[in-house]
Amino acid sequence: MKIVIADGFHEADYIISLFNTKLNDLVVINEDEDVCRYLSSSNDIPVMKGKCTRASDLREAGAENCDIFVALSEDDYKNYVACKTAKMLLGAKRCIAMVINPKNVQIFKELGIDMAVSATYLLGEQVRNLTTVENMVNSLSLEDDKVFIAEIRVAEDLDVVGKSLREINISDLGSIASITREGKTLIPNGHTVIESKDKVLIVTTVENKDKVVSVFSRKK
Amino acid sequence: MKNNNTIIIGAGRLGGTIARSMNKISNIVVVDRNKEKIGRLGDFSGFVEVGDATDRALLEKNGIRTANRVIAVTDDDNTNIFLADLCTNIYHVPQVYCRLKDSRKRALVDERVKCICPFDLSLQDFESAREKEVDE
Repeated sequence: MKIVIADGFHEADYIISLFNTKLNDLVVINEDEDVCRYLSSSNDIPVMKGKCTRASDLREAGAENCDIFVALSEDDYKNYVACKTAKMLLGAKRCIAMVINPKNVQIFKELGIDMAVSATYLLGEQVRNLTTVENMVNSLSLEDDKVFIAEIRVAEDLDVVGKSLREINISDLGSIASITREGKTLIPNGHTVIESKDKVLIVTTVENKDKVVSVFSRKK
Repeated sequence: MKNNNTIIIGAGRLGGTIARSMNKISNIVVVDRNKEKIGRLGDFSGFVEVGDATDRALLEKNGIRTANRVIAVTDDDNTNIFLADLCTNIYHVPQVYCRLKDSRKRALVDERVKCICPFDLSLQDFESAREKEVDE
């Protein structure tokens, strides 16, 4: 995978450390000379000083035809233009922009940026999910918020305890992908019976999310 | 339905001058996040709004959905490009102008948007002055 990491400081450092393996071809470009030096020495890779919104600088860095372009500056609109440059002029397959303003997540997508990520937006989603179901451990939205994955801890007073998946029957709404019980992971079938303290991983659509969640929060 | 409203984003020298010169032919709203720049608009008698024009709520409050013209002349090219895309593709504003200090960024802007590039204009001025030099 050819991955271009444009601007950013700690964010860039972290992303580089995750993907700096033989399997990936990393191209790192940063406008700040001190940051270039830091990223280069801490990750032992070349970092080019240049503007990520300038096609000629990106070309010089070797950013053409990348699989993923990630723009991590602290300026939302610089990231927007960097992603547009990568996509329109350099043949990037997928672009990701970091955004500070959570309202830009949706707008950037509507304007053709493949993905816009805001820490505040994600935090808001997590808080909303936690307030929906008290037993929800983790949740994740995928595919532009079309697929929803939730991990729910089964409290002993829930209606589903002691029932088999066939009896619970959520097959029209989604599916139970796995159950973690006493540290072991089970792949359930229709006969599997839900026990209290199980951690149930549910995959559903965003439209059916509330219905599925309500099945797993109904008390006896 | 679009009306004869113009929203000018950026109250710097260019934005301010355009606002004053267009005041008689269009209803103008000037938006800038800098209160001092808005204060320097002088004898401009249209509407002003201090705030962030990249905020859709602020644009909508100032009539972006029905505006006929948006002129994005903040001092940041990237913001102007974003505003031009937003106004063209989401609000379908018929006439969108975008100032670009770096004229190479024209390639990123939708062809419906009219770019104002000081560099290109200076070059044109130079070329026409040079042509006259040959004629003389």
